[in-house]
Amino acid sequence: MMRLLTSLLVGLTLLSAPASAQTGPLRLELDQGIIEPMPFAVPNFVPDTPAAAQYPTDISRVIAADLTGTGLFREIAPEAFISRVNSFEAPIQFADWKAINADALVTGAVNLSGNTLTVRFRVWDVFSGQELGNGLQFSGPTDGWRRMAHKVADQVYSRITGEGGYFDSRVAFVSESGPKDQRRKRLAIMDYDGANVQYLTDSAAIVLAPRFSPAGDRLLYTSYESGRPRIYLLDVGRVKKQELKTQDGTMSFSPRFSPDGRSIVYSLTQGGNTDLWKMDLASGQSVRLTNTPAIETAPSYAPDGSRIVFESDRSGTPQLYVMPANGGEATRISFGQGRYGTPVWSPRGDLIAFTKQNKGRFHIGVMRVDGSEERLLTASFLDEGPTWSPNGRVIMFTRETQGASGRSSLYSVDISGRNLRPVRTPDGGSDPSWGPLLK
Amino acid sequence: MDTGTKISAIAHVTLIGWALFGGAFRSDPLPMAVQEVSVISAEEFAALTAQRDAPAVAVAPGGLEAPDAQPPAPEPPEPVEEEQPRPEPVSPPEPDPEPQPEPVEAPPEPEIIEQPPVLAEPEPEPEVTVLPALPEAQPRPADKVAPEPIAPPPPDAKPDDVESPAVSLDEGAEIQQEQQDQTAPEEATDQIVTEAEQSDDLSPQRSPRPRPRPSRPQPAAQPDVAEADAPTNPAPQDQAAINDALAEALGASDEPAGPPLTGGEKDAMRLAVSRCWNVGSLSTDALQTVVVVGFSLNRDGTIVPGSLRMLDSSGGSAGAAKQAFDAARRAILRCGAKGYDLPADKYAHWKDIEITFNPERMRIK
Amino acid sequence: MNVLSKIAALGALALVTACSNNDPSALGGAGGGSGSIVPGSPNDPRSPAYFQQAVGDRVLFAVDQSTLSSEAQSILQGQADWLLANTDYTATIEGHADEQGTREYNLALGARRANAAREFLISRGVAGNRLQTVSYGKERPIEICSTEECYSKNRRAVTVLTGSTAG
Repeated sequence: MMRLLTSLLVGLTLLSAPASAQTGPLRLELDQGIIEPMPFAVPNFVPDTPAAAQYPTDISRVIAADLTGTGLFREIAPEAFISRVNSFEAPIQFADWKAINADALVTGAVNLSGNTLTVRFRVWDVFSGQELGNGLQFSGPTDGWRRMAHKVADQVYSRITGEGGYFDSRVAFVSESGPKDQRRKRLAIMDYDGANVQYLTDSAAIVLAPRFSPAGDRLLYTSYESGRPRIYLLDVGRVKKQELKTQDGTMSFSPRFSPDGRSIVYSLTQGGNTDLWKMDLASGQSVRLTNTPAIETAPSYAPDGSRIVFESDRSGTPQLYVMPANGGEATRISFGQGRYGTPVWSPRGDLIAFTKQNKGRFHIGVMRVDGSEERLLTASFLDEGPTWSPNGRVIMFTRETQGASGRSSLYSVDISGRNLRPVRTPDGGSDPSWGPLLK
Repeated sequence: MDTGTKISAIAHVTLIGWALFGGAFRSDPLPMAVQEVSVISAEEFAALTAQRDAPAVAVAPGGLEAPDAQPPAPEPPEPVEEEQPRPEPVSPPEPDPEPQPEPVEAPPEPEIIEQPPVLAEPEPEPEVTVLPALPEAQPRPADKVAPEPIAPPPPDAKPDDVESPAVSLDEGAEIQQEQQDQTAPEEATDQIVTEAEQSDDLSPQRSPRPRPRPSRPQPAAQPDVAEADAPTNPAPQDQAAINDALAEALGASDEPAGPPLTGGEKDAMRLAVSRCWNVGSLSTDALQTVVVVGFSLNRDGTIVPGSLRMLDSSGGSAGAAKQAFDAARRAILRCGAKGYDLPADKYAHWKDIEITFNPERMRIK
Repeated sequence: MNVLSKIAALGALALVTACSNNDPSALGGAGGGSGSIVPGSPNDPRSPAYFQQAVGDRVLFAVDQSTLSSEAQSILQGQADWLLANTDYTATIEGHADEQGTREYNLALGARRANAAREFLISRGVAGNRLQTVSYGKERPIEICSTEECYSKNRRAVTVLTGSTAG
């Protein structure tokens, strides 16, 4: 310190800057940056053999679409490329990618052997010239090329952002067609990006609000098959359904799995009153969780299974409450203006997404689990029913347009409120339930 | 009133009633027939609606043309209703090569009632293998030469510029715009404006976060984090005299030529890096992480290869620190690609630099 | 005149009152003759069509409410009278909500409305085991515009006759 001060004094006194002066490093603090999609390049993967040549472009396009779809990345159009990547093993000419301002580069190759497709890839940080993580390869039947592309994109996403991806996942939803007063609804399932839609029921009975099991192998949903709303459990792989019996004369709906997948919490209506119940799936036995004259519905477990957030109008208007998983005293967490509903606990456990109705508009919003830091992400005539992506970063929901020609469709939005976008479905869609990442 | 009169009165009222309701309902029938929906059988309903459901059979919005074959169904699906003859599961046709806005039109075949439930197994599980590392690419000479064709840092990344709004699409539009269209505009944004906040007809639900102020030059005497902090950090010994002398000296000399960088020069350097510090693709965890990155500069302002390193991190997991460091490193490298513009006569003061990247104000939440 | 037709006539009288409350101009339009009664037609006081149209099979509710207005009560009184007179019928009361609300909450709200109508009918002497309820929430609107004009008609409880062995 003495020496430093001395040199400083000397410097100041002499009004000159001797370059030889001994100083510590220049210390700066940055608290302002920018928020914009990261530019990346995915040159077409290289086919090992001519036989494999039908896959690389498709795979590269799915990867690029996955990344771009997050709103966190921006693809640099292949027309801008200076370098061609003709070999997966050749060194990367980083200068060529820096020149087009690509921060990240994904290279890969595709091999076809019989019916087995192998996709290899690497992720590069262009400006440091370093590989992010290790190269990986996925092998599987050619049928699964889309899943392989999603898996590559999940890897790229998590290596750059530091959080898990969500591309190799599926969404259950209600496919809607027909006019508002004769709406036909069918249970359907699709890849998260709208590909591979498959129908699980016909439209003979109204179906509502499917919910994936934590493992993604089963669905809960509500159907009017018996003439009144009842909960059904569907084995997704075998498309085999089973009614979950409740007392005669009651309505049961709004089912959600517990995090261990062994029980469900749901709404049961007896007379005009709707309370929350919990059913053990093995025994079919139900126990009551709430007992008030108010409407209690739309329950959702915390990921650790300890608590349940739900909607109740015990205060006079629908608001959000949290209670222990086995019932007990409920604490109100929503205190803003308007009406709150359909709370869904995030898979990370830190946020609750909800539907809010205020001043004639609907919003999807998020708040902390104690109700603080409420943020509204959307605004429209009618938004409702949020569901979380497996990594807790994106929310998908139902948006219905108004009027006689009103139509329901699925939208997704980043939890920052950015990147609001529609999700492609063949017909209208509602009540999405985002399943877990596939294994 | 005798019984006859009563009966007569009742009969009259009844008659008036008939006249009233007969007339009223002939001219203005209530839409009762609609209720039939809830009365007809499921089979009838399915038959009625069959034609409109048919198009859905052929739809597979895959978006890419490829041999994306349906997984074979190992078991016939459970019939939902016994009475309807069920067609065999229909494999969706090849998806379109591009996401097309128009829904796939299938001929409205009356025979096809609906696609029965089909197996919804995900595509087959790929195997995973880790690849060995690739040999280092030999750096091309161009990498080190200053006037190389690397584009300058984006000049549009003004921290206080207009925010890019959340993409808002036409309601009910047939959605497929090109995905590139939806990326944020070139301007950087310093706050996130959600659809909820941008609605005109909505009184603000929450006030947006205050805009950060642009960096301002600070008075040179203002203690900063750099070594010029000396006046505020006197050694425990008898530094009073030195402090006095220093204070005098600082007060006396306003010249920018003094050896330590001026506040303005530091701010310029700060701004130069912040223009490339993109936290837009960081996880929320990484956005909680403060990292300190050290590096060295050559006399021409370019970065000494290999000198970049993470000195410290706090607030997040090791994984988050790595992502935060990656973003900081990209910022330093990207904006320093042509060399930082620093006063050459003060090289000793900026030869080594440590930057603390604190994303606190950039957080989503 | 037997008791049954007397009761039916009283029901009609009650409806004259109810109807003129709602729509006084209907009185002026009542010029048609009574004609002969076609069994099963709206002119047949024992027909479901009569129940639907003359008695009135539905009651409407205010926003978010399941309480019965005085108009609703008088319509339900007519339904109760009819059901007491036509004991061969059972009924399912369907509760509905407008689209301004979340799906699951509206299901529960529709159930409240259906139940309010059911409780009223029971209080007027209709046996509870003849009356079932079901809620459709906002799944089955009859009016599809997105204005209060349509919403007010969609917030309803509809008494649908079932188990008809009428003769």
